[in-house]
Amino acid sequence: MNDSEIPEDLEVFYEALLFIAERPLSSTELGELAGVPRLQAEAALSSLAERLDEDERGIRLQHHDDAWQLVTAPAVGARLAAYAAREEARLSPAALEALAVVAYRQPCTRGDVERVRGVDSDYVMRSLMHRRLVVEVGRRDTPGRPVLFGTTFTFLERFGLTSIDDLPPLSSEAAQLTALTDSTAGADGE
Amino acid sequence: MQPIPVEADAVIAVPIGDVEFILDLSVFEGPLQLLLHLIESRQLDVLTVPLAEVADAYVEHLTRHPVDAANLSEFVATAAQLIYLKSRRMLPAEPLPPLPDGTDEPDEDELRRRLLEYRALRDAAVKLGERDGIRPLVRREPRDSDLPEAPAEPMSVAILAAALERLASIPEPMSPPPEIVAREITIGQQIGVLRRALSRSGRIVLQSILARCQSRTEAAVTFLATLELVRRRQVTARQDELFGPIVVESLPEAGT
Repeated sequence: MNDSEIPEDLEVFYEALLFIAERPLSSTELGELAGVPRLQAEAALSSLAERLDEDERGIRLQHHDDAWQLVTAPAVGARLAAYAAREEARLSPAALEALAVVAYRQPCTRGDVERVRGVDSDYVMRSLMHRRLVVEVGRRDTPGRPVLFGTTFTFLERFGLTSIDDLPPLSSEAAQLTALTDSTAGADGE
Repeated sequence: MQPIPVEADAVIAVPIGDVEFILDLSVFEGPLQLLLHLIESRQLDVLTVPLAEVADAYVEHLTRHPVDAANLSEFVATAAQLIYLKSRRMLPAEPLPPLPDGTDEPDEDELRRRLLEYRALRDAAVKLGERDGIRPLVRREPRDSDLPEAPAEPMSVAILAAALERLASIPEPMSPPPEIVAREITIGQQIGVLRRALSRSGRIVLQSILARCQSRTEAAVTFLATLELVRRRQVTARQDELFGPIVVESLPEAGT
């Protein structure tokens, strides 16, 4: 797939299409709607996302789990409150901790959250699901087939992120730990 | 050997520290949170402090502060691990024989690793909390509810007028003399009324029953009684057009 083959107006088409769409559209849908292969659609979408960002436009292209939607730019978020006020109760430190584990380690199980926090996390996980910040995304292929959780578009919107890649990086020592944890998690699964 | 920076007795002896202790330690949700707090509040480095040194402070905290029952076992397990680490430090440096099954030995590195991981994610959570709703991204709001569309057929105003007239024809209740208790109408009673009416032909027009009601309450209860019978699958109700006759029909199994 050659980037230069992308029709010039594919980005324009997607910008318009996502402007009128009232829900996130998947790469597959977007490809079909433009009559182009999925990969080509994704290339055009990435390019559109970059362009909106570089030009500091009022909108951004947000993507999560293979779906895309137009959202407002972070810079104007606070000033939009007068129109789109969504007064949400602040999250408790416990809920934020659990949310951070899911966000950085997704997909992960409730057990993973509890292992990191050393605390029973049933209640906070349920409250995160209730707020649609966290959803079930599948099951882990280990005994008991525990439910795997991931974050949602609602999460990205609330925290002003255009994708999960926008999360501030964990401290480097924790990044090393991730590798360690992954290896032990694999051992636990046996 | 370096001076031991953490000493439970020292903590108790210093009243200021004690006060601070109590103020700070109102709620610890988990053992890692408590342990990390004990280390950080003494400005020790998580990476290098021997965790055994924190054991006394940890146990001291547990004896003086209630712990969330749901996580009690976690707190106790961590306490046991710390005490074990401490006891091992106090013994002559002789390698301990491995446990028979070669597992389960509380391991300082493992506990430290969990602490570091917890700290990293706790710090990330604090950062997340700082951006919570501060600069939200807003998406297009759906134009309408997702209720099905209302019938698009044009309606004549006359229908409304007729409906109003029918409503008006149901007389307001005559205000009863104050000493008389108002008549109570129950859904059960009205179910009886409907069943009696249905027993003749097995099919009635609901409006004909409603017309005989003496008050709006009675009409409303009769309507609820109809819904109840529908719910019990003893009758069906059908209305072919807006404000048209509601035909109520007995179902075969409703053989009362």
